[in-house]
This record gives sequence, structure tokens and C-alpha cells, in this order.
Amino acid sequence: TVTDKENNNPVPGVSVKAAGKAAFAQTDAQGHFSIEVPEGVTSLEFSFIGYQKQSAPLNGASAINIQLESAASGLNEVVVVGYGTQSKREFTGSAARISSAVIKDAPVQSFDQALSGRAAGVSIASPNGVLNNPPVIRIRGINSISLSSYPLVVIDGIPTNTGNISTSTAVPNNPLSDIDPADIESVDVLKDAASTSIYGSRAAAGVLLITTKRGKAGKSKVSYDGWTGVTKAARLPELLNAQQYMDIKNEGVLNARILGGNENNPAVASALYFPSYREDGSLVDTKWYDYIYRTAISHNHTVSLSGGTKATSYYFSANYSDQQGFVVDNSFKRKAVRFNVDHEATKWLKLKAGGAYNTTFNQSQNTGSLPNSTFLIIGAARMATALSPNVPVYNADGSYNLNQTSGTLGMGNNLVTNTLFNAAALFDLSRYTSENEHFLGNVGATIKLLKPLELTTTYSLDRLRTETVAFQSAKLGSTAYSTGGSVTNVTALRNNWNWTSTLSFNQTFGRHHVTALAGYDVQKFENSSWGAAQSKASDDFFEEYQGSWGAITTSGNGLAEKAFISYFSRLTYDLDNKYFITANFRRDGNSALGNDTKFGNFGGVSAGWVLSEEKFFHSNTINNLKLRASWGRVGNGNLPGEYAALNLYSAALYGTAATWYISQAGNSNLGWETSEQTNFGVDLGLLDNRIQVEATYFNNDVNGLILSTPQSPSKGIPNNSILLNVGSMYNRGIEFSVNAGIIRKADFSWDASFNYTHVKNKVTALADGNADIIGYTHTSSETSNITRVGESIGSLYGAKTAGVNPENGRRIFINKNGEKVQYSAVVKSGETNWTYLDGTPASAISASDYYLLGNALPKWYGGLSNNFRYKGFDLGVNFTYAGGNYVMNGTRSTLRDQRFYNNHTGILNRWTTAGQKTDVPRVVYNDVISNGTSYPISDNVEKGDFLRLQNVLLGYRVPASLLGNSGISSIRVYAQASNLFLVTGYTGTDPESSSNGNANTTPGVEKNAVGQGRTYTLGINVGF
Amino acid sequence: CSQDELLNTEPDTSITAGNAFTTPSRILGLVNGAYDGVKNASFYGGRYLLYLDVRGEDFINITANSFTGFESWSNSYSSGSNDINNLWGAAYTAINLSNILIDGLSKSTGVISDSLNKQYVAEAKFIRALSYYSLVTIFARPYVEDQGASKGLPLRLQAETTSASNDLARSTVAEVYTRILADLDDAEAGLPDAHGSALLNTTRAHKSTAIALKTRVYLNQGNYARVIEESKKLVPQTTAPFSTTFGVQHKLQNIVTVFSSDYTTTESILSMPMTDLDSYTGQSSIAYIYNTNAEYYLNPSGIFGDAQWGSSDTRRSFLRLSSGRYYFQKYAKPSPFLDYIPVIRYAEVLLNYAEAAARTGNTDLSVALLKAVHSRSDATYTFAEDALGTEANLVNTIWKERRIELIGEGFRSNDLLRTLQTIPAKGSSSLQAAAVAPSAANYIFPSPNSELLTNKLF
Repeated sequence: TVTDKENNNPVPGVSVKAAGKAAFAQTDAQGHFSIEVPEGVTSLEFSFIGYQKQSAPLNGASAINIQLESAASGLNEVVVVGYGTQSKREFTGSAARISSAVIKDAPVQSFDQALSGRAAGVSIASPNGVLNNPPVIRIRGINSISLSSYPLVVIDGIPTNTGNISTSTAVPNNPLSDIDPADIESVDVLKDAASTSIYGSRAAAGVLLITTKRGKAGKSKVSYDGWTGVTKAARLPELLNAQQYMDIKNEGVLNARILGGNENNPAVASALYFPSYREDGSLVDTKWYDYIYRTAISHNHTVSLSGGTKATSYYFSANYSDQQGFVVDNSFKRKAVRFNVDHEATKWLKLKAGGAYNTTFNQSQNTGSLPNSTFLIIGAARMATALSPNVPVYNADGSYNLNQTSGTLGMGNNLVTNTLFNAAALFDLSRYTSENEHFLGNVGATIKLLKPLELTTTYSLDRLRTETVAFQSAKLGSTAYSTGGSVTNVTALRNNWNWTSTLSFNQTFGRHHVTALAGYDVQKFENSSWGAAQSKASDDFFEEYQGSWGAITTSGNGLAEKAFISYFSRLTYDLDNKYFITANFRRDGNSALGNDTKFGNFGGVSAGWVLSEEKFFHSNTINNLKLRASWGRVGNGNLPGEYAALNLYSAALYGTAATWYISQAGNSNLGWETSEQTNFGVDLGLLDNRIQVEATYFNNDVNGLILSTPQSPSKGIPNNSILLNVGSMYNRGIEFSVNAGIIRKADFSWDASFNYTHVKNKVTALADGNADIIGYTHTSSETSNITRVGESIGSLYGAKTAGVNPENGRRIFINKNGEKVQYSAVVKSGETNWTYLDGTPASAISASDYYLLGNALPKWYGGLSNNFRYKGFDLGVNFTYAGGNYVMNGTRSTLRDQRFYNNHTGILNRWTTAGQKTDVPRVVYNDVISNGTSYPISDNVEKGDFLRLQNVLLGYRVPASLLGNSGISSIRVYAQASNLFLVTGYTGTDPESSSNGNANTTPGVEKNAVGQGRTYTLGINVGF
Repeated sequence: CSQDELLNTEPDTSITAGNAFTTPSRILGLVNGAYDGVKNASFYGGRYLLYLDVRGEDFINITANSFTGFESWSNSYSSGSNDINNLWGAAYTAINLSNILIDGLSKSTGVISDSLNKQYVAEAKFIRALSYYSLVTIFARPYVEDQGASKGLPLRLQAETTSASNDLARSTVAEVYTRILADLDDAEAGLPDAHGSALLNTTRAHKSTAIALKTRVYLNQGNYARVIEESKKLVPQTTAPFSTTFGVQHKLQNIVTVFSSDYTTTESILSMPMTDLDSYTGQSSIAYIYNTNAEYYLNPSGIFGDAQWGSSDTRRSFLRLSSGRYYFQKYAKPSPFLDYIPVIRYAEVLLNYAEAAARTGNTDLSVALLKAVHSRSDATYTFAEDALGTEANLVNTIWKERRIELIGEGFRSNDLLRTLQTIPAKGSSSLQAAAVAPSAANYIFPSPNSELLTNKLF
């Protein structure tokens, strides 16, 4: 009997060969086999795709039990490539495979969040800690400036919608979470052009090929996987308590009075902040964290059934997931079912079908963490640090403490007005949700025409309906108090279909093996969304759109379609299993491009040489040595709009009159962005492949970059930008990975894998004489990034500072001439705020004085995972790391904000006396310049290097003997912790934070966002 | 074939440029679209008015919120300020919409009549002139300082729809004024005496609208003779009652009516219309900022405390007392904020005329005009003899009247700048704004970063 070492399940279809002789057998569904052993044979060889080859001595035994060990990275492992599969041996491109094991038990919402640090060249970062936020995925760097740098995600053959599809800036909605991670068999990452070019126009940022689980012939298997866990906020900054808050703010008030020359003016206050007391006389000292963050509880359950006969196999699963985020009110729920069926109708006809239907539900308050929400006054992360601690959350009568005019937080005895809301009331009085209903399915057939010829055709349907709802109450304390409450419902239908047909040829002529593939692919995306916003609730009872409201306007309307038509082919040839060559070609048409530029030709070639198969190659340590090289050209047509080439006029209203106005300045010559990628690699297998090393050099030249080229605002062009094919850049680097079976003993094993990527990004040309491109974070005043020729894309940008003047506590800035100027927020009438250090008036610092403050893209990153197994125990420890970049710690400017905001305890080091050396300027009430509140300053730029313990997991497999006749074949329990610690010199919440999400030109900015949580889970896997 | 069909998609919710000037109703839509550009929230949708008012000394800020004009109030803006960048962008968008209109109309034949074509061009030029005037008075040094010799604005007169010509040097202030006045002269010639309805007479430019704006522009240049010349067209009388005698018969109305129940009386020469489907909410609406969210109150030592603004003055009804502070509620409707935003009123023309008359020695006319404006809101008020006695005192009284009459309509700080007066200090016990002398850099708005970064000739 042949069983899987990991789960003791029988393995059908294993080849059993008598060593050196022709005798051959295969295991059946129960893993049994019988073989007639020829004379002289002393051992049998067992081999099967995905397992390590094993041989067993006969010793005259009549029955043999073999446990096959999965080949985590064996050469016969299958690599899923575009429109087919290849064995790793014959694969000459560059790809990485991530197996189901690392995904299925991860406490995540979508599988892509679990891939962090698992593959060389693939950088995956969580931009914030809000549930179901799309991660920032970069395969070999950022490969575009204006177009999406998110890889193409292909699920069982159909390229699908990615990114955040919610229409609300409060609640994110990543449609990839519609797939139960436990349903995924493998994720294959195609990295080089020779591999991706078969996806032509959409592959420039790499391709993720998702293969879901399918049944295998044999006994039906039932499994249950479940986990439950808790998540807490991590690395929250320490804030001033009520007394410290009042002291610091009043010091600022007094300083402003003095600096303004009002020291003896009784009309100007010297203190504005005064304590509030509870009924028992104790000082009010509110910890706003307690009302914004929480300990969140989550659980997730998947049941699956799989099995089949020789002709028909099936996989069925159901999933229920209920997860909470550590920000109050943040939750994620998924209910999903999937079936996959394979049937061999006749010898020449195979049918295949699959489908998944699910609903997912996302709910979140506005955290200020999603792109374009950084400065929203309802952002929870900023409220958590900024709200005044010396006022209560609730009044003595239990009602919310509110300003009776505006509904913002009541300021107690403080004599200032607060523009922020009472978080507890706000959360209670508003709701933001985004809910998906998603069917993703396909039917296909494979017909064997003649022996080497196969025709495969697949039709896939991806139909996703999303309903995004925002509700704000009419009650005092809600943001919609002044409008009498409001509710906005937007429904969006994303209908995406894809029809692919391929003809493949596979033949061996003696020493020559040839495969060929030709195909036709057509895909269409039809997006339609519509909705309405209502306000003025007829009674504050109404919280739903269907209630009674007094005013209504449209919201979220959109209607667009986009189509791709593609012809593609692949030819592979190998000689003697030693020399391999693959060529791809694709011709792509994209409806979004200019009339004469819709079609583009893409393709690539790759070659490999298995040096270790050569007669002259002798090595006892190196058992496999393969050299790889590839070159390819892929395109990027992931345009932000469906009609980007057109000059468009839209209609609106001027009062009651109908209007038309230019809404888009298009570019009729808009063509493909192309990237030419060259790749050299070597694969090494050492010590019987126990150590496998892969090293790859890559060079990706991106040309004809489509730039959202900034136009002078005085031209009055919509959004001040036009898409143009100008500019070029490159990403160059190396990838290195080692997989090692360090110890492989019966009772104990230790496997480790390490990967490292070094990538250098450099912009080599831009539009209009290489004009810089400025990146903004949410508002036009936050000029946080710059894309400049000779530098890496989206480098940090802002005013350069040179510490604090010890003489007077003023922040020193460096102007464009390199001169030092100092700033005082308050001066006497007739004086200027900006002066040179000798006191003479200076010009204010403006954008023309800004400097490039550091590269925002990590130069190196990777992961280290260790898996230990001791008897029934398994331990996995997975680290991720990245660095070589700088992060704009914009949150620090908020933590030092000199308005009514509470501050970080670091403010206590502020300048107070002449001669004092400190990095915190003198506090001056309402100073919005010195600490980077108005625009970014270099003082807040920090190194982003970090090492994170991404995941640690300890599992225990209950011995089969204990399970007896229960019918249960295996039980494994485990405990897991995620994001357990972070080693970094970065003082913000998280160096991987990105306030601008996936945006290419504005990376590396952390501003007013919630960091990543820390999660502990307990789980169980049961097999029947 | 189906492949062409799949790849040659066109949107169903907007039209391509080639279809824009193809029907009369679309061309009319483009005209209205240009007005709608002026109605941008950052422009005459309201916030431009807010910036200009709160820069002056008549309001006190409470919230220190840079998103609701605090930087304008405290004159502490920088090139990166949202107020600065958004206003610049909105005004130039309106300019480009009118340039596109002028360009398209010059190429359009046979779709609309020649006379309608000429009228639309005139409306486009009016919009362009209004937008340039609004920009040049806040982003450039006052004309009267050096007769317009300072650097002004990039003068964009061509339709911009491509990536060409990002770089354009600034014309001088004088050149910008010359263009504004030339456009307004053209507009006056091409505009109709009146449109078909009171609503259109208030929301679209007619002959008087161009003339009225000219009185404002000439006043900014200190060219009193021309102010008088243009004013006479709208105010032919020398004694009250005053009214226009051609086209729309502009005259003063009940001021409460003008701001609360009928936004389209003959007093309103141009206003931005607000409807349920086309209005602003939250911080985009000045009604929200002034009244609903009460972020500014009347400076007790500003015009509010002046004797000229008597307690029986109807215009006091635009103030609301709450916790000892007077809040401004000329725009008093709660959400949805449907109060029209005034751009030009007949009352302003009378005061422009009065000031020019006073400056040119025609005291009787000047006083008559001044009294017409004041007495319609406070019939029993008598001006002190001294207040009307000398030219300087009379002008000073007219300025005060402007502050009372036009408060919240975007005049105060420009009235200081066009006469090269210091912007006075103001403040409460918690927030102070220092005085700004004419020599100070922040006497005018700084050039916006967004332009500095993209226009190399700026």
C-alpha cells in the first residue's frame, strides 16, 4: 500500500517500477498495487508527480507499505503556466509556486494576504490593518507609473477583477476574498516575460495563476478545517494623559500670546485648556484607544468532500468565515460553496466544470487608512490619537458628550472648538458596508483529435454584484447631523466572461520532444453601477435607504465595457531532456486604446540547459545543474478607464439647466506600454536535491510608459492630466532562493527556505522634457512623493529641515538655495513668520524649495521559513523582511499637531529654554508648519528596514492509533500567531503601511492609518 | 465584424468631442457648462467669497480648520494650501470651458443661428473675464500699486485639450486687465438686453451683467471716469429712485427677499443657482460653514460694531445671536443649502458708482446713491453731516456701507487691497491673526504649487 506520509491517505496512480527492469504497475484508488517482480530485482521504485521518488528494498517481502513524502520542490513538480502545465524540469522561465499548505490555515480574508515572504521576487505588504484590504503586491518591483502594478490574477483560467471594488473610502472590499483560501490547490507566480507573455497585454506586473482543488480518483475524503482567533492592535503610540495634554496645549497658547506681542494684552488668553471632573471629583482622563480599538474574535470553518472513480472525480466544499477587525465595528463574513467536477466521457472526450458561489460582507468605520481618506475628519486612526483626553466620552446622564451646535466632540471646560467627532457616538451613528455576491464558474471540454493533438475549450463566467451602503444618522453626533441624516446605496455589477480555445500538440520523436499550442481568447468586462444618496430622514428612526427621506440625488453611477481579443501560441522543444527551448507569441487587442493602436504583438523565448545531464559533468554533490535564460516583451494596457483614448464631454446640471462640459482630455494615439524583460538563471540541486538553489538575474526595461502627465492647472484640463505614452524606466535585480532539507530523519525533520530579492528601480525618461511627477496623498497640499528621472519611482518629497534652532526653538528649513530659514507660527504685527537665522525676513518655504527626501521602494526584501517536524509535532516559523527604503512617517506630524490635537509623549522633549538641544520645536498653539502638518518635512522621514515574525505555527497530529475505529483518519490541532513581533528602527506603527494603497507613484507614506494587528489562532484539521 | 464591435467601444454616459457641437441643445449645454464651471464650490459656488471675506477684519474664526478657510482668515496660507490650489484650478477650468466654447463656436456653422452664435461667444467672454478678474485681484499685486506693472497671470486664450503648451509665462497685471476689459466690451456688444425669464436673467449674463462687472473692474484700476461712464448705462438717474431703463429693469428690492424668498429679482444681476440636484453640502457650502456649523462669527470690533449699522437696520436680520456671539446667516437655509450665491447685485453697482462719483467731486450724486442703498434697509437712519462732509469722509462712509451691504459676498479684503490699505489684525482670546501691510508677501495669495511645478515659464 502506498500512502501519503503527511496524512496517511492512500495515493492512487503511483508508478511502481522494478529497478532496472521493465516490470511496471500503478496503485489503485486505495493505494494498493501488485506487481510481478522479475528475477534479480532487489528493490522497487515508486514515483508520482508531486512526491519524492522513493525506492524500497524487497527483501523477499510479499507486501510493502510505502509512505511517499511530498516533494516540496522536486523537479518533477508541475508548474502551471499560461494555458497549460509544464514540469519544473522543462520549465525555462521564472516562476514560483506556493502550495495550499501555507494558505489554507492562515487567518486572512483573501489568499493573497498569506503569500508574504513566500516567493523570491514577490513582495506582498499589508497597507493597513483593516480587514479585507487588498495587499500591495509587487512582482519584481513597480513596473508602471500610471497603470496598475497589481499582477494579473487568473482563477482557473479566467482573469478576474482585483483591487478595492468598494465605492466607499471607509470599507475596503477585495474580491479575491470571495475565494475560500482552503479551496486553493496552488498559487503559481509567473515572473519573467517569457512566462507571462502568453498573457500579453495584462502581464507586465506578473501573473498569479490560482488553481482550485479538484477531486482525485479513490475513496471519498471528507475534511474539516477550522480555526478561531483573536486580534489586537499592535505598536500603538503612547499619548499624553489629560494633565500632560492641558500643560502642553496651554504652554503653546502662552507661547503664541508672547510671540504675538500680546503678553500684556488682557484680551488674549494665556490658557485655554481646563480640566473636567467626574461626579466623584476625579479628573477626566479619557483613553480614546479603548473606544476605537478592541480585542477582536474570529472563526473560520471549511468542510470539503472529494473523491472519484477512474472516470469521474469531484470536489465539493463549503466555507463559513466570521472575522472581526481590531478597529471597533470592522468585520468580515463569508459564506461560500464550491464544486469542481472532471469526467472522462470517452477515451477522446474529457469534460470539466467548476463553480463557486459566495457572499462576502465587509463592514468598517472610516479608519482614514484607505487611499484618499487620509485627512477625513472621521478617520478613526487619527481620532484615536488626536481626541482630547481631558473631556469625557459620555455626560453624567449617559448621553454622548457633544457640541450641541455641530455635533462634534464636546470640549468640556476647554475654551476651544473641536472639529473632530466623538468616536463612540460617531461609530454608533454611522455604518459603512460593502457586500458581494459572486459566482465564478467554468465549463470546458478537451477533445483528443489525433494522438498528439488535443483541442481544449473553456468558457468562464465571473459575475460579481456588489452593494455598498453608507449610513449616517440624523442624530446629533453624526457627520450627517446638518443634512438630517443620509444614506447612500450603490449597487455594481461586474460581469466578466472569457472564452478560451486552444489546440495543443505533444509528441516525442526519439530524442526530440515537441509541444505546440495555439489559441484564441476573448474576454469582456461589463461594469455597471448605479445608486442614490438620500438625506433628510423624515424621522431619525430611519437607518435604511428604504426608509422615508426628504431629498435624493444620484450616486455612484457608472457604465462601461472593455474587451480583449487575443491570439497566442507557444512552441516548446527539448532534446534528450537536456536542452529546452520555449517560444511564446501573442497578439492582443484592447478596446481602451487609440483607434490605430489597439493591437500589440508580444512574445518571448526562453531556453534551458541541464548541464548535469551531460556526460562530462561529474559531481558528487551537485546532482542537478540547469542554466536558464529568457527574453520577452509584454504589454501593459491596464488603463484606469475604459475610454482613455477619447476626448469626452459629460453632462450635468447648472441649477435646473442641462450642461455639457469636457470631462476627459483623451489621447487618440494612446498605445501599449511595453516591457522588455531579460532573465538569466541557474538552478542547482545539491545532495540528492536536498538543497535546491535558484538564482536569477532580471532586467526589465519598461518603455512607452503611459503617464498620467500633469498639465499646468492654468490650462484647465480635467483633473489636470492627460494619459501619454512617454517615459521609460527599468527594474533590475537578482532573486535568490534556497530550499533545504536540513535534517530528514524518521522522527525529526527540519526544512528551511530562504529567499532574497534585490531590485533597483530607476526612471530613465518622463514626459515633456523629463518633467517631475508629483504624487499627492489625498489632498493637493500633501505633496508627498516625486517621480524624477534618475531616481526610483515615487521617491519621498517635501521640505528639507535641519533640526531645531537651540536659540529660539524654531524649526529650521533649508530653502532651494541651501540657506537656512526658520519659522515661527506667531509673530508680532509687522514681523514675518519666516526669517533667516540672523532674523532678517526670508521667503516662505514653498514647493519650489522642496527636495527629494529618499527612495520609497524597498531595495531588498524576502522571507525565511523554517518547518520542523518531530513525531506528531510540526512547527513553522516564517519571517519576512525588507529594507533599503525610507518611509514618510506622516503620522508623526499628527502626533505633534499643535492644534487641539492630543500628542505623543515625545512632545515632552519640546524646546523650552535657550540653548536647549532637541528635535522637537517650541510648542506654539495652532502651528501647522513646524511639525509637518501642512506639508511633509524631512524630519519625519525614517528608514523602513524591518524584520517581522510573520507567522509561527505549532501543530500536533494525533496518532492514528488513538483514533481507533472512529472513522476519523487524521486529526491535527495547531496554534498560530501572526505578526508576533517587528524588529525595526522605524518609529511609526508599521513600516509596510501605505496610506495610498497600491498607488505606484505615492508609496512609502504612512499617515493617519491603522497599523497591522497581532493575531493568535487555534485551529484543527480533521480528515475522514 | 464582431471583433470591431468588441474593440471599438464608446461610452453610453458621455459623448465624444466630435459630437459636442452637433445640436443646438448640446451647444446650449456647453454654454451652461461654462457657467457651471464658475459655480465650482471653490469659486463662485461660494468658497471664493468666503476667502475674500474672512481675510478682512469683519469675521472671527473659531475652528482653526484649514479646510474651512482658516489659512485665509489668518493670512497664513502657503503655496501648498488647498484654498490656493483649488481656487486657481477652478477658475482656470472655467476659463478653459469658455475658451473651448469660443473655439467650438468659431468652427460651428449651420447648427445655430449666427446671432445666437454671437451671443454665446459673448457669454463665454463674460465668463472668461469674470474668472480672470477674480484671479488677478487675489493672485497678483493690486493694479493701483504700480499701474499693473507687476507680474500677473498666464493669459490662456486658446482652448486646451492636449498636452501641448504647459509652459506659459505670466502676463503683467495691466495686460490681464486689458484683456478683461476687451472681453467685457465684446460681451456687452454681443449679449442680449435680456433673456426670456427672470431665472435666466439672474443666472446667465445679459448686457447689464457685463456693464456691471466693468464698473467693478474699473474701480479696481482706480479709473473713476470709466466707472462713471459704465455706471451711467445702468443708473441713468441722478436722484433716487435708481433703476436701469433698458433690458432687465434692475433696481433695489427688499433685501430680505433677495436673500431668502426670491433669488431672481431685478436686483440680482448674476447669481449662482442652487437646486436640490445641483447644490453643495458640508464644507463645500458656505452656508454650512457660516451658519450650520457656525465656524465664524461677527467681529465685535469690525463693521458689526459700527454705528452706521444701526439696530433697526433690516440687514441685522442676516445675523443670529447665539451664546453672546453674532453668527452670519445671509445664507440661512439649512441643508440642502439652496440659497443662491450672489455674484453681482445692483446694490454693488450703486456703491461702485457712489465711490467713483465721490472721487470725482460729484458729492450730491454720490450721497444720493449711498443713501439709496442704506435707506432701503434702514429708512430712518440719518448720516452724520461729518460722515458725508469731505471727500475722504464720504469715501470712508461708502466703504463702510459696502462692508454692511455686501458682507459675506466676497468684497472686504479686495476693497482693502484695491486701495492699498493694511489688512487689520483681528482675533479672539484664542485665535489671532496679525495685520498684513501692503508691503507684505502675504498681502496677496501665493502662486499655487501645482502651477509652479508644471509651468516652467511661470
